[in-house]
Amino acid sequence: MSSATTVKTEPGRPTKPRHGAKSAAAVVLLLAITLWAGFGVQVDVAAIVQNWRNATSNVIALLQPDYGFFPKTIPALVETLQMAVIATVVGSAISLPLAFLASRATNPKPWLLAGVRFVMNMIRSVPEILFAAILVAVVGVGALSGIMALVLFNIGIIVKLVSETLDGEDTGAQEAALAAGASWPKAKRAAMLPQILPSFISQLLYTFELNIRASAVIGLVGAGGLGILIDNVRSFFRYHELSLIIMEILILVLVLESISSWLRKKLV
Amino acid sequence: MATVIDEKQGTSRPVKPTTKLRTTLWLVVSLIVVAAFWSVKIQWSALADFPAQLFKYISAMLLPPDWSKFSEAFGATILSVQMAWIGTVLGIVISLPLSFLASKSLAPQVVTAPLRLLFAVIRAVPEVVIAILILSVTGLTPFTGALALAVGSIGTLGKWGYEAFESVDAGPKEAVRSTGGGTLALIRWGVWPSAAPEVFSFWLYRFEINVRASAILGLIGAGGIGKMLQDNVQFRNWDAVGMLLIVVVVLTMCIDQISGAVRNKLIHGTWRAPKLAS
Repeated sequence: MSSATTVKTEPGRPTKPRHGAKSAAAVVLLLAITLWAGFGVQVDVAAIVQNWRNATSNVIALLQPDYGFFPKTIPALVETLQMAVIATVVGSAISLPLAFLASRATNPKPWLLAGVRFVMNMIRSVPEILFAAILVAVVGVGALSGIMALVLFNIGIIVKLVSETLDGEDTGAQEAALAAGASWPKAKRAAMLPQILPSFISQLLYTFELNIRASAVIGLVGAGGLGILIDNVRSFFRYHELSLIIMEILILVLVLESISSWLRKKLV
Repeated sequence: MATVIDEKQGTSRPVKPTTKLRTTLWLVVSLIVVAAFWSVKIQWSALADFPAQLFKYISAMLLPPDWSKFSEAFGATILSVQMAWIGTVLGIVISLPLSFLASKSLAPQVVTAPLRLLFAVIRAVPEVVIAILILSVTGLTPFTGALALAVGSIGTLGKWGYEAFESVDAGPKEAVRSTGGGTLALIRWGVWPSAAPEVFSFWLYRFEINVRASAILGLIGAGGIGKMLQDNVQFRNWDAVGMLLIVVVVLTMCIDQISGAVRNKLIHGTWRAPKLAS
């Protein structure tokens, strides 16, 4: 009895010691994983200390871009932009209805919701480079396989972002529309779509940026865009040309970022 | 008719200029889209063969996958995950102090401006390119891949970090300042406690990104999924590619589930996602 009262009079935070043990366990676990991963990737600091001089010459080469190479990059640059535009448009057109099916707020059928979410998770878990490598084999080298890989990649991102926005939206208007006798598609079109439209547009801009960056990567396996060029110059160690390509991507992304932040301010 | 009146009552801002801007934007965007479709060099007729071709390749990959390659695929995927983990940890260790220094509320503009530019530049450069640069120092090992991912992570984590630190509620910060706390005390007691859950969730998110990005680094020789992918696509061992695909999908989905649960625990206090209020 007396012990019970002393416990009660103590400051009311009995969770503290348990919390400490838990975070200690978490720290140990994280350290163990880090060590395991460190052995896996063969962390080798000595190599860096030994060879850092090698990098300086490359960095110097990179700081002197070969501007004469610019005309040769134009076709790839244009192709990158074309791929990004087409993939964003096609990807978003496919994603919008899928996003409505993947949100708890707009899809009342649990089995359909679970099915769509599962397929979407699957698509999202495949790296875009895997899609690209397979599609290059299926439809051949060039922009078409790149666009298709980007479309799949975009569907994964847009559906996730939009369905999460939908999850957070108020379903009141939708219920009102349904109560007034609207069909499900009409209720969504009238009540839910306007709510998510501003964030949808800003997510599209974000996806477009990602596509520009991704096209540098998927080109490595032959899927068109600046990546093919990167692969060519890197295998011949032409760092002056590589740095020009990097600079082009950099400028492209920075310009897009400023345009999209301006648009976001105007529209959202 | 009714909806038009509703809209006008609902919004108090002037409607006209916005619609003008929107119409121009729509026109410009449509023009760009049409131009892109028009000018891109693609044989659209190839699309007609696509379903049949896809079926052919999918059956080559998955009917059945090459089970003898399971251990190789599993090992390659684990190596990619390890690369992603080390890259994320290094990225966190480096980016955390940098993002404090890049917060406008904690550091002078002389420090914040160059750091923000650095983050922006890193974010614009694809990880493959970073890896190509690092390659000359470390040679072609998985460690190169991890370093490239670490550098890439600094770009995003640094940005998300300073944004989180800047949006922290002013109350606790004023409290620390008013009791005479210095900048370190301000960070420890005024900023970090409120921003921590958000920052933890960024770390997890970046780890998920790195798991996918590590696949790419294998292509230039850093090992892992990318290397196995390239080797097998080159020699058209489709059933091995199918095996790799299965392992990647299953493992990535597991990681996403775990990190989603951890994220919920850190933010909401429960392992499962909170139910929607409906």
